[in-house]
Amino acid sequence: MTTSSQAAGSKLDYKEFDQARRYQARLVREYYANMYNAIKNGAKVAYAYVMGNPIELLMVFDIVPVYPEVTSLQISYKGGAPELISAAEEFGYSTDCCGYVKMGIGALLKGGDTVIGKIPKPDILFLGYSGCQVYIHWWEQLKYLFKTPVVTVDVPYYRDFNGHVYNHDILYVTKQLEDVVIPKLEEISGKRFDEERLKEIVYYSREAWRYWREALQMGKLVPSPIDAYFEAIYYMSVITLIRGTPEAVEFYKFLVDELRRRYEAGVGPTEREDFRIVFEGVPNYPFFKRFWGLFKRWNARAVASTYPKVAGLVDVGAFRLNPDKPIESLAEYMIHAYCNWNMIYRLRLLERYVEEYKADGVVIHSIKSCRSFSMGHGDLREYFVKERDIPALLIDSDHVDPRYYAEAQLRNRIDAFFEELSIRKGVEV
Amino acid sequence: MARYYVAGIDAGSTYTKAALMDDENNLIGTAITMTGVRINQAADKVFEMVLSKTGVSRSDVKFVVGTGYGRFKITFGDTQVTEISCHAKGAHYLFPKTRTVLDMGGQDTKAIRVNEKGEVIDFVMNDKCAAGTGRFIEGAAKALGLELSQVGPISLTSKNPTKISSTCAVFAESEVLEQLAWGHSIEDILYGVHLSIANRTIGLLRRVGIVPEITFTGGVSLNDGMAKALEDLLKMKVNRSPLTMYCGAIGAALFANERLMIKQKVV
Repeated sequence: MTTSSQAAGSKLDYKEFDQARRYQARLVREYYANMYNAIKNGAKVAYAYVMGNPIELLMVFDIVPVYPEVTSLQISYKGGAPELISAAEEFGYSTDCCGYVKMGIGALLKGGDTVIGKIPKPDILFLGYSGCQVYIHWWEQLKYLFKTPVVTVDVPYYRDFNGHVYNHDILYVTKQLEDVVIPKLEEISGKRFDEERLKEIVYYSREAWRYWREALQMGKLVPSPIDAYFEAIYYMSVITLIRGTPEAVEFYKFLVDELRRRYEAGVGPTEREDFRIVFEGVPNYPFFKRFWGLFKRWNARAVASTYPKVAGLVDVGAFRLNPDKPIESLAEYMIHAYCNWNMIYRLRLLERYVEEYKADGVVIHSIKSCRSFSMGHGDLREYFVKERDIPALLIDSDHVDPRYYAEAQLRNRIDAFFEELSIRKGVEV
Repeated sequence: MARYYVAGIDAGSTYTKAALMDDENNLIGTAITMTGVRINQAADKVFEMVLSKTGVSRSDVKFVVGTGYGRFKITFGDTQVTEISCHAKGAHYLFPKTRTVLDMGGQDTKAIRVNEKGEVIDFVMNDKCAAGTGRFIEGAAKALGLELSQVGPISLTSKNPTKISSTCAVFAESEVLEQLAWGHSIEDILYGVHLSIANRTIGLLRRVGIVPEITFTGGVSLNDGMAKALEDLLKMKVNRSPLTMYCGAIGAALFANERLMIKQKVV
């Protein structure tokens, strides 16, 4: 199973080929520093969701975006979830409610103090994502607690089965952005809308998406120089937090270059590439590295996955930003949030990944507290196994709540899955 | 006369089992003990038990495969394989026409599809919840002041099984006490318990597809009530024998022979 270049590569220092991860960590730190700075200088704070947000539009008004999903996952990654979840549960939230929501509410109930620093309160709540019902109530809760105004865009569900977004749907969202959102943002920020600036920001976004797409598609190489799930989750932070800037474009150029260097040197995220998997679902953040380790020990690399594309399914060309038509192209982008896609289309996407990325099987990680991402996971598994004879594994824990992570059970299922794949693929274990 | 022996040790959540095999895959002996908290000690004990039963000396055992939840704690094991692969192999060894394996243990229920060689094609397990596993039967037995071994035979005398909707292992005792309060007989409650678990299990089996023959393995396969409930609902025969509870260990011993052969080839 080991090619000579890989064997040689495994002796090289991987750190040398793992600079992009450090680079993104620096950019994330800078994003927070800039955010605190801007707030100190009087900038307004908008809370926004990762999926399908037209952040480029908010940037025109120098409104600072804060993504409570991202702060929740970062706090959880650093081990700070239990106290925030407890605060929300003491406040009255059910144990079954979404962990992101509970952490977001819990953080503010505790005055914003968390292990990753102070989380600022919102001046405006931007709601432009209809893929999750619970999220709508999250903003309602904050509106109730802090009297924060909510700016809502009603985004139609992606209901066509042929990969087609209706023009009238795009027009419907465009009109809302023009007639409702822009005037509201002008009012809140006290600044006039500047279309030229929007075009420039959309241009940088498009360029960042372009290189991110290239990086993601390098999972097609055999062996894959990227773990398109576990590593991509680090890399996705840049497109999520700072797209629309030249810094984001530079980062993704660097990443593509690093991945090329890896491929040429025969190194990758695991010692060898024994298994190529397609990964579906949200990761477990409180035990992220241990969870990853359960796959690494089998020399398994994720060659494609859905979750790192929650900010946009750019790799399959779901949307195209166009600086000449900035608002319309943002409207199209908003409709293409992954959880806004219908189940059939999500299934076809995974199927396409298995074929195009030459995967050996599909791993589906369902999370207890997110039904909009985890719905249909049992059916997906059965479809792959029964209809397509593609090995598929369904495991579950939670994205942020450590109480739902049972490593012995996960390991047992993962090990059995790779034992099954070893037989199929003739890999000696 | 065998040139050497191999062993499989299955450290399950409740019991630890051992199987000893010769170099030609003939099963020489089995042993069982409670797992307890010191898994390696239980594994060592059960290994000694099977050796003394068979008169084989430890130095003649060339390869040991550990399986079960405690497999990584078996320090004298040469390698580990999951009990999913082991049960599949063990079930196929005992019943070569096996295509579907149902393994019911203390905390886990697994439905496994296997090919004609006993290799895993697909599997599903109960998730994060021991409802509908052996633990529920244990809880019910405890609430009724019965030994686990009495549960199956008593349940077979039921005339009008009680409908039990909740199979939560944690609430097993209160569920049973509630049914007693309603005036149901012990045998009806017990067979109701088995039917209810069987129903849940069949749902799991359907997820991998029910292809005959079905072999029932794990500790619960010794329970006649459970086997009858499964056969009643599935309307087909379910393979089992006094050895099916050792399937994990037997499969591990078979893997031991395979791995040893690969190792010898490499060396």
